[in-house]
Order: sequence, then structure tokens, then C-alpha cells
Amino acid sequence: MIFLKFDRRIFHHFDWTLLALVLIICVMGIMNIYSTGFSAAGGQTPFYLKQLQWVIIGLVFTMAVFFVDYRVIAQYAYVIYGMTVALLVLVFIVGYSSHGAQRWIGAGFFLIQPSELMKVVIIITLAHYLDNHKSNEPYKLKELFMPFLIVAVPFVLILMQPDLGTALMLMIIFVSIIFFMKVDRKSLIFLFVGGLILMPVGWFFLKDYQRERLITFLNPESDPLGSGYHIIQSKIAVGSGELFGKGFLSGSQTQLKFLPEQRTDFVFSVFAEEWGFIGGVVLIAMFTVLIFWGLKIALQARDLLGTIIAFGITALIAWEVFINIAMVLGLLPVVGIPLPFFSYGGSAMLSLMLAVGLLINVSARRFILQR
Amino acid sequence: MLNGQEPAEFKERIRIAIGVLLFAFCVLTLRMGYLQIIKGEEFKKKSENNSVRFRQIKPLRGLIMDRNGFVLVDNRPSFDVLYIPNRTKASELSVEKLRELYKSKAMELPFDQSVLRNAQPYLPIKLDKNVSMEKVALIETHSLDLPGIYVDITPVRLYVEGEMLAPIIGYTGEVTQAEMEKNRNKYAYGDVSGKHGLERFFDDYIRGRRGAELVEVNVLGKEIKNLGRIDPVSGHNMTLTIDFNIQKAAWDAIEGRAGSVVVMNPQDGSILAMASSPSFDPNMFHEGISNEVWRKLQANPFAPLSNKAISGQYPPGSTYKLIVAAAALEEGIIAPETRIFCDGFFTLGNRKYRCWKKGGHGYVNLHKAIVESCDVYFYTVGKMLGVDKIAEYAKRFGLGEVAGIDLPNEKSGLVPTREWKLTRRKEVWQIGETISISIGQGFNLLTTLQLANAFGSFANGGTVWKPYLVKQIESADGAVRKEFLPEKKGELKLNAKTMELLNDALRGVVNDPGGTGYAAKLPGVEVSGKTGTSQVVGLPQDERARRMRVLASFHKDHALFACYAPSKNPEIVVAIIMENAGGGGAVAAPIARRILNAYFEGQKGKPRQDVAYNP
Repeated sequence: MIFLKFDRRIFHHFDWTLLALVLIICVMGIMNIYSTGFSAAGGQTPFYLKQLQWVIIGLVFTMAVFFVDYRVIAQYAYVIYGMTVALLVLVFIVGYSSHGAQRWIGAGFFLIQPSELMKVVIIITLAHYLDNHKSNEPYKLKELFMPFLIVAVPFVLILMQPDLGTALMLMIIFVSIIFFMKVDRKSLIFLFVGGLILMPVGWFFLKDYQRERLITFLNPESDPLGSGYHIIQSKIAVGSGELFGKGFLSGSQTQLKFLPEQRTDFVFSVFAEEWGFIGGVVLIAMFTVLIFWGLKIALQARDLLGTIIAFGITALIAWEVFINIAMVLGLLPVVGIPLPFFSYGGSAMLSLMLAVGLLINVSARRFILQR
Repeated sequence: MLNGQEPAEFKERIRIAIGVLLFAFCVLTLRMGYLQIIKGEEFKKKSENNSVRFRQIKPLRGLIMDRNGFVLVDNRPSFDVLYIPNRTKASELSVEKLRELYKSKAMELPFDQSVLRNAQPYLPIKLDKNVSMEKVALIETHSLDLPGIYVDITPVRLYVEGEMLAPIIGYTGEVTQAEMEKNRNKYAYGDVSGKHGLERFFDDYIRGRRGAELVEVNVLGKEIKNLGRIDPVSGHNMTLTIDFNIQKAAWDAIEGRAGSVVVMNPQDGSILAMASSPSFDPNMFHEGISNEVWRKLQANPFAPLSNKAISGQYPPGSTYKLIVAAAALEEGIIAPETRIFCDGFFTLGNRKYRCWKKGGHGYVNLHKAIVESCDVYFYTVGKMLGVDKIAEYAKRFGLGEVAGIDLPNEKSGLVPTREWKLTRRKEVWQIGETISISIGQGFNLLTTLQLANAFGSFANGGTVWKPYLVKQIESADGAVRKEFLPEKKGELKLNAKTMELLNDALRGVVNDPGGTGYAAKLPGVEVSGKTGTSQVVGLPQDERARRMRVLASFHKDHALFACYAPSKNPEIVVAIIMENAGGGGAVAAPIARRILNAYFEGQKGKPRQDVAYNP
């Protein structure tokens, strides 16, 4: 039986703390989504129940990923990567043939967003590549070309959808992992200068609405009806929560739909309005603990592959938490990054639960010696 | 360790990562503290007054014009009294104050106070709609005493000559919950959508796009600053193929009786007029139609809400003889000179089928059979043809399937076949049923539109067009967005000889002495046509049929008439079906005469269109 092949120690070292932490955040998220849908007239399945479904399906994914040794998974990294890229391409083909939808493709009974999945896949792929090409020296520009290409392909595909936020997320993951692996100083300076030069060039590739968002961020008053409105209403929502919040289901900004994108990008404003500064700090603290835990796993991993995977996933979660909350608080432009485990969305939830499975996977196998 | 890098180095970098993380999250916490604790009070006030208010601006719906640019549907401003509850005591009293104000002027506020209890704060509630200028002035002068109450100006539809076209053009109303759920991206709360007829069919074009406005208001709900505005985009205007003068003639000719008329250009399928009676006043819908009036409209046995021209299905009666005759000639079952003796009866087994003329027509050939509408002749011919052959030709004439007009709820009618009866009714076809079918009775059903289209296709020499009502759609600034061109649906594929013979016979119906359509004869223009009188029997399971039994008048026959003119190079085809009105020649033909008269009077002075005609 296949089951007997498993080292039973992985069960002894199953990371219950991590899973519990994630599930608590998920449950808080579901309650929060319940609040956003509270005053809506129904007809179909309420969003909070759908989100609950996603969490449960996600848990199955978590367990499935946990059982297979991450080294085995990594061996198939390029295959998985190729299939996900294919899905991204499919988005264009299928997307065009239907009604111009760009980010989603139908998977029978629901829609999936391959770009969300890509965030996790890119981590495994990079980890696998870097693990195969380890060196004791800091990385030089030439050695970084391949990993850069690995990221660049989905980056361009996602940018073309267009989904600036998710595309940038891929770049951020890449940069984080590379920095973690250490880069040659001269190469670093070169990259930095190159990036500065490329920025104005990139401006031309942005869609009009993306440029507008950047302008709006720099000067919110310039577009009070569009994303400026989002930021203004979000700040009112958060601010009016004061120290203790208005209470569950009582956020007027939320309940009255002044707040846009309540279930997705702006979930945190809903939470902060109803639970106040205290609630917000508690949530941020929980994310902090989760991220620390992830870094701990990275540090204790039995091999380089595990370290990079764990670090990459932790970095993904950390960046998303930071960017999302900063955006909601008006510190960053509105770029459409969801709050992990908290925002409504099936693809994001499933991808994150997969990532959690990988983390637990690395964590549980830390004491198993390599062959 | 097999790692390329030493764990100590990782430790170092993780420490840096933790440092960055703590710093970043501290920034977030500080920012949150700034917003919630230092500025909290201010934001709380803002959220309570919701001093920044997002207001939708309704777009103007597109105009609807007749083919000559005469405006049939316009917009006019409507003043609605809205109330925004906002949780303060003062504002709760506003509604009571308004009620008293109304009372002082001997007016009544048609608003149920109990609705307020379930009201959601900040979502506007309509207290009174379409109010008079007197009320507007009253509210504006007392605005300081009425926090939360304001007058909103929205465009509403104005249907010029409402009744005349109501079943065709339809009407509008606020989107329903069901519509919103079906089209999440299309509609938002408070939008207006077309509910019926053209307003519904072309809603995507004429709806326009709502605009929005962001305004800052004070505690009393008064606007103090406009923060931004997106202008609404007016809907596209629509030019119909309808000619208002002919439409008016058709509507007047019906004289309020139950029935419908379709007037079409046989050369391209464009509808010149379409009338359905009785009708309703579409303007009453936004003036606030009471439940009682609505119930009455729906329960009315004459079905004023439905467009009978496309939704009413009737046995074609003797108008069907054109098709049976065409089939018989084409199939070589009869020659034009074949004579059949009519003694008033056709006997099949032990059953006798009556001719409408007691005593019979004597010897009849094809021409006489059509002109005098002899039933026995067609019983005989139909029996020889068989039901399936008749159906084959009926389908060529476009019957048994929707004509494809640009309106919702078009019915397909019914062309029965052996197979249809076997699959739908699980019964074998009876030969006696073929006899009934031959004169357009029995299972046969068609709509007035199909009748017009069938005769139109014959009139133009054999092309079945797809009928259409909308000629052109243009944006508010006049740019043409969509132009509708004639669309060919099929062909009759009849011999020239057959066409000529039948055309001659149809001309005889109106012009020969003893012709059943004599009442449609017009001086100066030759008219060809066919009368029909269909019996109202059968279909006991039909709800309307059940109601029909209640009133004796519902037992009367439907009067049908279809015609085209001039007999050579026809420009116009008219089809009429009057419900329970009596004989086609006596009731429907005179209506056609009035319409044709209006058309040719209007055509005088205009250069005659020269169209090739090859029957």
C-alpha cells in the first residue's frame, strides 16, 4: 500500500499551529464576508457560504499537497509551470471567444483564475531551478537570466489580461527570492539602474485605467468618482471605526454599500470599520505570527529547496497582506491585490490553501534525513 | 549540509526580512491609528452624515420616431420627492412634517409610514412621484424644515398618441429584482428598463448609460459642493419603418374593436403600420398605476397588453385557400379549368361538410372558387393533396414558424402535419381533419403578421422577407449606429403561370361581381385580396377560450382579410384579423379599404416607385 511508504514521522510533526492560525483567519474572513452580504437581497448562494465552500475544498487541496513530499512535487515543477502557462494562454483564447472576459476561464461548474494559481506555481518553479543551480557565490546577472525568464513569461501574459496587480506580485516574489539567495553587488546596482530606466518605458505599456490609478494615487482629488472615490470611502470606513469599531454587522459604510469592492479588495476596511483599531491590530498581529511561523519553517527546512519554497510562500503572503492593507489605508495605489485568506475569491483561496499545504509539507519533513 | 549556502547566512537574511516586516507592519498600524484614533472622530462624523454622497444620474432614453422623423416617443421631466433617512431624530420627523404641509394645502401624501421602519439609512425612498409644480414649490420653500427630503428630477417616457402604438412600442419601468439578477453588469438599482415591445427588444440600444455625481452635503442633506461628475450618455434614437399616417388610419379603422392590423411593404418586408386593439395608455405606468388598474388590464378578456398582431394566433380561414390553390396547381392536381360541382355539401363517409353558401355554387373552376370562396371546391382539392403537401406549401409561405420580427413574444402559429399530430397529440391523423385544413380551419393557426408576410411574398413575386420594424438606430449626436436592411428569408418557388393565375383570381375577389372582398374595392387603384372567416371552436383547454364561452359574442367568427395593391407592382400589403367580428368580407375588407385609401392619398404627388414585377 502506498500509505505505508510514508514516513510516519511526518504526522508527528504535522504543523497544527500553522493550520489553526490559517483557519482562524479564514473564519474571521467568512464572518466579515457575511457582514458585507448582510443587507443584500439574495436569490443565490450567499457569498459567505461560497467562501466557506472554497475553504473546505481548499483544505482538501492542503492535505493532498501535504502527503506528497515537496521534493517529488518539485521534480514536476516545470510540467506544472508549463500547464499553468498554458492555462494563462487559454484565458486569451477562451476569453476572446466569449464576452471579452480576460482573467477567468470556465472549469465546468465554476470559473478559475489561472493568474492566482501562477503565484504559487512560480515559487515552486523558481525553487526547483535555484536548487538545481546552487552555488556558493552570490548570483551574477548571467545566472539570473533563466529565473528571470521563468517569471517574465507569465508576467507578460498576466499584464496583457490586463491585471497589473497580479503581474507585479510575480515580480515581487521573484525579487524577494533572489534577494534572499543573495545577489552580486555589481549586478544589484545594474538591476536597480536598469529598473529605473525601464519604469518610464513601462508607463507606455500600461492601460489607460492603470495610468489613471497611478495618477489618482498621487492626487486622489483628480478623480473623486473613480478610484479616488474608493480611497475616500475606504478611509472614511476605516477611520469611522475608531478604537473599538461600530460592531459586527453595524458598519454603516459597509452596510450602505458606500464602500466599493467590499468582499474582494476592500475587505479590510469592512473589518476595520466594524472592529475598530483593536480588531485591525489583532488581525495584523495574526498575520505577523503567521509570517514569522513561515520564516521559521524556511529556516528549519531540511534542504535548500524547502527553504526557498517556504520563504517564497511566506513572502507572497507578507507582501499581499502589506500591499492590500496599505492600499485600503490610502498608502498605496489601488492595484487589486486581495487580502490573503480574507478576501472573497475561489481561485485565490484555493491557491493559498495549496501554498499552506506546501508550507506544512516542508515543516513536517524537516527532521527526515535526506537519502 | 548540502545547501549551497550556509544556514548562518540564511539566518542573517531572515533576520533582515523580519526587520523589514516589522517595520512595514508598524507603518500600517501607525497609519491605522492615525485614521482611527487621531482622525477617527472626524471620519465618524463623515460616515454618519455620509457627507460624501454618490448620486446616480439617469440617462435620457432614445427617442423613437416614425419613418419620416415624426417623434412617437419622447422624454419629459418628472419630479419625484425623495427622502434619505439618516438616523438623526430631526430627519425622522421630516416625513410627518411633509404630510402636514401637504394637508395644509388639501393634498395627500400617498406614502405608507410603515415602510420607514424597514428603511435602510442613506438609501433614498420615493415618497411621492411625478408631482405637480405646486408641490415642488411647496417643498423647495420649506426645504430647511425638511431635512433629508428633496425633489429629484428624472426623465420619464412620454408616449405621443400612446394608445395607438402601445402594444407595439411597449412601456418602461424600474428594473425588477429578477432583471438585475439576470444581468448583473447591465442594470443597477433604480435603472429603467423596457418592459414590453420595442422598448424591451431594443433596450440595450435605447437605454443609454447612467451617469453619476459625487456631492458633499451638509447635515441637512443639502448639497454644498460638487466633487465630480460623470455625465450620463443618452440612449440611441430609433427610426421605425412605421408611417405615422398609415398607422393612424389603421388604428382609426379598427375603431376600438378587438383585432389587429399589419401593413407592410411587400418589396422589402418593412412594416408600415401595426395596430393591436384594444390597447392601453403607456403613459400611466410612471404616473403610478394602481394595483387595481393593473389587475383589470391583465384580466381584461380582450387582452389589451398583448400585441395581437404577433401574439394572437387564429385559424386562417379562407385566406388559406391561396396556399391550397398554389399547392394544387404546382402539384398538378388541378388545371385552371378543372371544374368541380358544388351542391353546398361535401360528403366524406357519413359526414357532410358544408359550403358557406347554402345551395352551393354549381360548377366552379379555380378562378370562381377563389373569387367566391367556394368551400366544396377546396375540400375536394385538399383531400387529393393530403395534409402533408398542404403543410409543405404553407411552410414555404412562412407559416408555422416565427416571421422573425424585431419584437419579443412573437408566436409561431401552427401548420399541422401527420407527424405533428402523432408526436404532439399521440393520435393518428384523420382524413376529415384534412378536409377542415383545406379551408383553413381545424388545427391551423397563424398570426396577423404571418398572414401579411405570406400575402406579401406572393405579391412581390415570390420572396419571403423577414419583416422588420426598425429602420435605423443612431446615437444622440446623429451618427448612424446600425442600419437594418431587408433580409430574405426564403422563396415561394412557384411557377410564373401559377402566380399569374392566382394573382388574377385574387384581383377577382375584390373586383369581380360576386367577389367576397368587394368592400375593399378602391377607385383608381386595383386591389387584390382574399377574405377569410374562421370559426371559433375547439381549444377548450385554452384559458381565453374558456372565458370566451362566458360571453355569447365570443362565439362569433373571426374576420380576416389580406390584400395587396396595386395588383401590378404592389407597394403595400394589408392583413387584418378582427376577433369575433363576423365575416371577413363584411368586417375586415372595409378596414383594409380605409387603410389603402390613406396610403394612396398620401402617395399622391409622390413619384411612383418603379419596381419590377414578374408574377
